Amino acid sequence: MEINNGVEDEELEEEEEFGFSRNYFLAKELGGSGKKSTRKLSDIGLVDEQELRAAASNIEPKHEKEIVALMNSYKSMYPKWVFELRCGFGLLMYGFGSKKSLIEDFASTALTEYSVVVINGYLQTINVKQVVISLAELLADQLRTKRANTSGNLSKQPFNSRSMDDLLAFLNGSQTEDKDCFICIVVHNIDGPGLRDPETQQYLSQIAACSCIRIIASIDHVNSALLWDKKMVHTQFNWCWYHVPTFAPYRIEGMFFPMILAHGSTAQTAKTAAIVLQSLTPNAQSVFRGLAEHQLSHPDEEGMPINDLYAICRERFLVSSQVTLNSHLTEFKDHELVKTRRHSDGQDCLYIPLTAEALKKLLAEISQ
Amino acid sequence: MAIASAAAESLTQGTPETTENDLQPFFVFHKASSRKSDKKPTGTGKTRRRIDLSPSSPNKTEKSEPDKAGERDEHCNEHLRTEAFELVWSKINSTIKDILRGINTSVFNEIHHWVLESFNATESLGTPGFTEATRSFPIVTDATSKLLFTGMVLTGNMEFVDDLLTFEDLGLFLRSNGCHVANLSSLDFSAKSGIGGCLRGLLRQFLKATLYEADISILASWYREQENHNTPVVVIIDDMERCCGSVLSDFILMLRNLLPSNVLQHLCPFKFILGSPAERMDAVVEAVLVKQCSGFSVGHKVAVFLKNYFLNQDGTLTSFIRALKIACAQHFSMEPLSFILGGLLVEEKQKGEKNGLQPELVLKYTSQLPSYARNQMAEQNGKSLVHRFSELRRLHKCWSTVVLCLYEAGKYNKIRLLDLLCEALNPDLYTSRASNDHVVLEKDVGVPMATDRCIRRKYSTLRKGGFVGQIVRKVRDLPALMLYQLLKSWEKTTVDVLEIHEKVKDLQSLLRFEDGKLRPNVDDISKKHSSRSPLNMEKESKEVNEKAAALIDCLVRDYLRPIECIPLHEIFCFKNVEKLQLALIGDPRRRIQVDLLEFHKILRCGCCSKSGNVLLPSMHDTSIMYTLAQEHGDLINLHDWFQSFKTVVLHPSSKGKHKSKQSPYPKKRKDTHDSENKGEASIQARFCRAVTELQITGLLRMPSRRRPDCVQRVAFGL
Repeated sequence: MEINNGVEDEELEEEEEFGFSRNYFLAKELGGSGKKSTRKLSDIGLVDEQELRAAASNIEPKHEKEIVALMNSYKSMYPKWVFELRCGFGLLMYGFGSKKSLIEDFASTALTEYSVVVINGYLQTINVKQVVISLAELLADQLRTKRANTSGNLSKQPFNSRSMDDLLAFLNGSQTEDKDCFICIVVHNIDGPGLRDPETQQYLSQIAACSCIRIIASIDHVNSALLWDKKMVHTQFNWCWYHVPTFAPYRIEGMFFPMILAHGSTAQTAKTAAIVLQSLTPNAQSVFRGLAEHQLSHPDEEGMPINDLYAICRERFLVSSQVTLNSHLTEFKDHELVKTRRHSDGQDCLYIPLTAEALKKLLAEISQ
Repeated sequence: MAIASAAAESLTQGTPETTENDLQPFFVFHKASSRKSDKKPTGTGKTRRRIDLSPSSPNKTEKSEPDKAGERDEHCNEHLRTEAFELVWSKINSTIKDILRGINTSVFNEIHHWVLESFNATESLGTPGFTEATRSFPIVTDATSKLLFTGMVLTGNMEFVDDLLTFEDLGLFLRSNGCHVANLSSLDFSAKSGIGGCLRGLLRQFLKATLYEADISILASWYREQENHNTPVVVIIDDMERCCGSVLSDFILMLRNLLPSNVLQHLCPFKFILGSPAERMDAVVEAVLVKQCSGFSVGHKVAVFLKNYFLNQDGTLTSFIRALKIACAQHFSMEPLSFILGGLLVEEKQKGEKNGLQPELVLKYTSQLPSYARNQMAEQNGKSLVHRFSELRRLHKCWSTVVLCLYEAGKYNKIRLLDLLCEALNPDLYTSRASNDHVVLEKDVGVPMATDRCIRRKYSTLRKGGFVGQIVRKVRDLPALMLYQLLKSWEKTTVDVLEIHEKVKDLQSLLRFEDGKLRPNVDDISKKHSSRSPLNMEKESKEVNEKAAALIDCLVRDYLRPIECIPLHEIFCFKNVEKLQLALIGDPRRRIQVDLLEFHKILRCGCCSKSGNVLLPSMHDTSIMYTLAQEHGDLINLHDWFQSFKTVVLHPSSKGKHKSKQSPYPKKRKDTHDSENKGEASIQARFCRAVTELQITGLLRMPSRRRPDCVQRVAFGL
């Protein structure tokens, strides 16, 4: 690997990171010529964002008939799937296309004997503890109706004040001899953004391992299997894999992804920046505004020295000390609203990694 | 068309608009319906049933009466099969657990002994006073003067997952021997929850209580209670390598404070070594697949797959057992008659030791066979079926006995049972053995062995090579003492199968053990060799070797009949290796890409199937995009990509034949600016959606700030 003292470190790092794979895989295909197209996205003649969104909601579906037939063909698998759930396996559905309606159709036709809880893993945040609490409540409910005549006071303590271990122990309990008494959890996109972190996956695997729980999940990401270690795979989730491509559009799953042609990524970052800023205190917003205004009025400068920003903020009674300013700046940096770079004269300076246009839009948005 | 699209809407989209539930992190989809109670059939096989053998269930629309009856029958059958699976699997599972426990027993005893010794050593040094013992955490006084007895159990496994059961068992074992035991794992030693995590774990297991304020002093006072005192406390940590180091060391420091202060320094480690994974694997294979504790067996291809899966995929016994469980579940979910297996198992259990089949019972089961009902089989046919079941069992018993004999001999050659099993299950080898063998089999059981012909034939098995051949060769060359031991073990192994047992006995009668040396029996051979020179003796013992080799060779020829070569084996034997492989090993990385690149093979639409490599506008947008992406390097210029996408969707292939009705742009597109713009917006929207879908599958990375005009390809090649 060659070492370069180039200017654009970030870019280089990236080059190095992927250079190897590029050379390795593409040596044949490209015949060694790493020629890259340099045409700009803006040359496409992008339509207005609103128009784009309107068009997106009206895309004419293709192969409807075949997709329906494909979905129907999976219906013959339902009995087998139920059988395997009863045997204690989890079902893992994969293959291209949204499997949301397929799994929900399965649940509503073949799993009527069992309570079913759906987790929408494609959402950004999911509180697993809350899920476990409602699972426990559901199970307690089920047991209560079952032992209507026998004496059974199950819960002395309300579930929502119990610890996770306690709740899991309850779900794994031997309160019932009936092996067929279980709750099914449907997890759409168990590899989704809200569930992807290791801790949540640990909890999910512990839930799946409970004797009163069966799990049916879908994955879409090609590398999802990397989320799990051997313990989770072999002893907890206990997956039976099913390849069930549907080619159905990822209508809801895709809602949370930015549209790539919606004014490039600037609109998106300005949008996310606005959301972050709006959640901060008015003072913090004003500090940001101070920096933004400076950047807009000095487009050729590399950034704003911290001391200058401090002076402005003091003047406007936004901060009382360097410490307060620093805490604001840390917050900004954490959200990638602000970055630092070394000024040519050697001192560190601050800048906002947005184009002037996006920045103007952002300022307009937060001052509303 | 309207109906079709409405149906499509309801299936592919659920409801056209996003419902509130779609945006809930989670929600209760429905509660269990109460009709569950009337679902269960009244008893096992009391009602007459007609079993539908067709793999697909009937259409869910409009059912005629017979259809409903058929469905009810199917439901009953399914229930029987579920029950059978539970019976069979719980039998297999408990057998495996017993086997593994058996292997661990000696080490467990050793550990228990050590626990008691260490406890006595600790006790003899006196106990700390109450206040001293129940101080709150953290207390670090005189940290170097304390000692914690630590047993290190070396498992020799590939992965900690195989140790989970071992440590669970160890916990149970020590508990049953009067120790206080807590099992902790690396999850209790995470940096996030810190020392509190493991303390809570201990309190939960010792005090059976969840306390938010975990404090070691609670544990100390618990231990000082009368009934808990004078008993060793054992903390088992599953996968120590994965624990957070600092939390673990805090934990050790803390525990040390429970001990009297005048003990020596640091940890006092002891080492215990468990049996090797290969040893355990062989024991499990022997009990489950050779001796067939449950009656369930696997075919040759499945066995080979299981072996390769074990060797190549992950090397853990846990995964092997899981694969076996999936095979078992697949068998019971697909084979309608598999429920018979459950019935037979129950029957066997009830009859205890006796081996054999009750004709009435089997008749009862087979009367449910569709072939039986259709052909109006007569009573004696039923009986012959009973006979065939018991014949199958007998043949299989012989098979497993021979496999075990081979395994005993193979141990001298370090042959693994799993390898041997795969060979012994191979129906091709069996048929080729049988066809090569023109010599009529020895029917006379009285003088089964040692006929010169048998020896002269020079071992049909030898010619074939493979593990069986190796074993026969080994038997020929085995030193006398080992041969003697081998015959002993054969005697034990074959005790249940009289016909084989007698042959072994006969061979044994030719040998006797004398002065620490094995000698041929004088009565038999002395007539020929009156002068017993060492040279002669060697010759004699070689002769015994030859005979032993001939015996095993004969056994292989006569009895090593794989289950797949026995009629009716389908009821007991799982053979569908493809189904097993698909359920066991998902391959999302490859298959999702194939879905996209060859989508028409899955959708089987008329419009795109015949296109060859030409991209058609009728194709799925994301498929078009991903196919186009294949032509790019690891960076895809969005502009170029969009242009080629647009070209594909706007211009139907030059052949003109494939102009699809579904193309969103009919030929007679009006050339007004408005509609053009609309078309452009639509194409851009479709492009966006395809990019998003590729992003969801993880096949694309979004543009970085540095390169806003490019996305990155992630997967290269399938």
